[in-house]
Amino acid sequence: MTRGSWVNWGVYAALMAGIWLALAGGMPFKVTGMFLASGLAIGSLYALGGIGMVVLYRASGVLNFSAGAAGAAGAMTAWQLVQWGLWPPLAWVGCIAVALALTLAYGRYLAPLLAWRETVVKAVATLGFALIILGLVSFIWIDDPRSLELPTDQIGIVLFGLRVTATRLMAFAAAIAIVIGIWAFLGRTEIGLQMRAVANARDLSALLGIPIRRVETIAWGISGLLAGFTGLMFANLIRLEPVVITFMVIPSIAAALAGRLNSLSLVLVGGLSMGVIESLLTLSPVLKGVRPIAPFVIAALVLLWSQRGTRLTFGGRD
Amino acid sequence: MDRSLFRLTPSGSTGLIFAALCFAFLPMLAGSYWLSVLTSAVIFAMATSGVAFMYARLGMVSLTQVGLMGIGGWVMLRLNYLFDWPFEVNMVLAALATMICGWILALPALRMRGLYLALVTLMAAGGLEILFATYQFPNGGEGFWGVKIGSSDPFRRPWLAQTPEAYLRYCIVIATLGFLFIEGHRRLFPGRAWALIRRSEAAAMAAGVNVTLYKTWAFGIAGAIAGASGALLAGSLGLLDDGTFRASESIMLFALAIVGGARFWLGAVIAAVLFRILPGLLNTWGVDTDLALVIFGAGLLHALITAPNGIAGQIHDLVARLRGGKP
Repeated sequence: MTRGSWVNWGVYAALMAGIWLALAGGMPFKVTGMFLASGLAIGSLYALGGIGMVVLYRASGVLNFSAGAAGAAGAMTAWQLVQWGLWPPLAWVGCIAVALALTLAYGRYLAPLLAWRETVVKAVATLGFALIILGLVSFIWIDDPRSLELPTDQIGIVLFGLRVTATRLMAFAAAIAIVIGIWAFLGRTEIGLQMRAVANARDLSALLGIPIRRVETIAWGISGLLAGFTGLMFANLIRLEPVVITFMVIPSIAAALAGRLNSLSLVLVGGLSMGVIESLLTLSPVLKGVRPIAPFVIAALVLLWSQRGTRLTFGGRD
Repeated sequence: MDRSLFRLTPSGSTGLIFAALCFAFLPMLAGSYWLSVLTSAVIFAMATSGVAFMYARLGMVSLTQVGLMGIGGWVMLRLNYLFDWPFEVNMVLAALATMICGWILALPALRMRGLYLALVTLMAAGGLEILFATYQFPNGGEGFWGVKIGSSDPFRRPWLAQTPEAYLRYCIVIATLGFLFIEGHRRLFPGRAWALIRRSEAAAMAAGVNVTLYKTWAFGIAGAIAGASGALLAGSLGLLDDGTFRASESIMLFALAIVGGARFWLGAVIAAVLFRILPGLLNTWGVDTDLALVIFGAGLLHALITAPNGIAGQIHDLVARLRGGKP
C-alpha cells in the first residue's frame, strides 16, 4: 500500500470523526452509538454494491448499472419462494442464483457486442438491461407492501453496551470479508493476475494470449454474486421494492467513486463513512432532512479532489 | 452574419411543418386528460433536445437534465408567488438561473470527460432529488421555501394562453424556438468549435479552440433549455411534485434521447412520445405500464448496439433511400 492511499484512508476517518464530534459531541454513547451502528450497516450495503461495481469495472471496463436490478429480481424471487413455502435458505440461494444468471447472461451475450466502444456507452447499455429487468419484475410482482425477513433479524448481539441485530453485523462482516477475499484472489491466483492484466490493458493482454472472454466472464460472475447478496441485504434492511433496490445503484456508484473506481479498500472505507455520516446527520436539526444527500456530496468532492491539477489534455483514454 | 444561418434544410423544413401542424391540429384532437399529457410531452421534447444536443455534438453524457428542469420549475414557482411579474419574465429568469446551475455543474467538466463526467452529473441528479423531496416546491406559503400545507395558491398563466388548448399551442411555440435556438448555435461559430471537439479534442486545441469555454457553453445552453421547460411544466400544472424530478427520470430521459436518435429533432420528439405518451396509451389500452420500461430498455440496447442514430436516424436513412439518394 502506498503512502497516498493511507492519506485517503485518513481523510475518510478524519471526516467521520469530525462529524461525530460536531454533532454527537456532548451526547451519551448509548444514544449516538445507535446511529453509528445503523450507519455502519447502511454503509456496508453501499460498500458491497460499490465493490461489485469496481471488480467488474476494473476487469472489463463496464460500470454495471444493472447490478441493482439484478439484485431486485433476486430479492423478489426469494420473497416468492418463501411465499410458496420453500425452506428459506434455499430461497436465499435462489436470490443469488437469479442475480448471477441475469448478470452472466448480459456479460456473456450482450457485453461483448460493445466491448470496443467508449466506457460511457458500455455503462449506458447496462442501463438498458436494468430497465428491461425492472420492467419485467414490476410487471410480475405488482406494487404491494412486502418484506423479506431473515432469521438473523431476531438475534441481538450486545456490543459496547449496544444491542445490534445480527443481520446488520452480517452485512458489515460480509463487506470486510469480501474485500479481503477479493484482494487475496486478485493478488494470489492466476485468474486474479490475468484479471489485473486485462484491467490494465485489454488489447495487450489479448496479444499475450490471456483468455479475455473467460476472465471477463469470471468478473461478471463475481459481480453477479455480489449483486444477489447485496440485493438480499437491501431488501431486508431497507425495503423490498424493485424500484428502490434498482436505483440503490446510485449510492453504490457513489461508494465506488469514493475508491475512484479502483481501490477496493477505499470503496469499503468510503462506503462505510458515507453510511455513518448520513446516519449521524440525523442529529443535526438543520441537515436532518437532507441527510441522504451525504453519499453524493462526498462522491462529488472525491471526484473533484482526485482530478485536481489535471487538465483536459490531448486524447488518451478516459 | 453568416448566410447559411437561415438556410432551410429538408429536415428543418419538415420540422417546421410538423410544428405548424401540431400547433394547428393537436389541441383539437384531445380531451382534457390528453391535453395535459400532450403538453407535458411537448415540454419534455424541448428538455430532451438539450441532453440530445450535448451527446450528439460533444459526446457529453448529462444524467441530470430532469433535475435541472426541477430547478427551473422551482424558480418559476418562487417568482410567481413572490412578484406580480408576467409569465414570460419569470420564465426567462428561471431559464437564466438554471443556466447558471448548468455552469456550476460544468465546472467538473473542465477536467473530466467520458464516464467520470456522466457520473458527476448523476451525483448531482441524486442530490437534487433529495433537495426537492426535502424542501418541496413553492405553493404560496411563507418564507424562502414558500411551502404551505393544503391547496396551493393560483398560478398565473401567460395572458396569451389562459385555456389548456392555448397553453399547449404556447408550449409548442416555445419548444420550437428552443429547437431553433440550438440549431442556430450549431450553425454559427460555437457549432464549428463543437464539431471539431467532437472529432478530436487534440485537433481542436491545436487549432486554437478554447475547449473549456465551448464545453461550458454547451452546458449553459442545455441548462437554459431545461430551465425553460421546467418553467413551462410548472405553468402546465400550476404546481410541481418532487416525484417528477427523480434521478431515475433523468436517466430515463437520456436513455430515450438515444433511443429516439440524438442527432435529429425527430429523435427528441420520439423520445418525448415514448416518455410521456406511451405510458398513457398503455394505460388506456389496459396494458401494464411497467412494460413500457421493457420497451425502453430493449430500444436502448438496440440503439446502442446496431443503430447509433436511433429511430430518427433509421427513418432518415429510409427517406433518403426512397428518394434514391445514398442512405
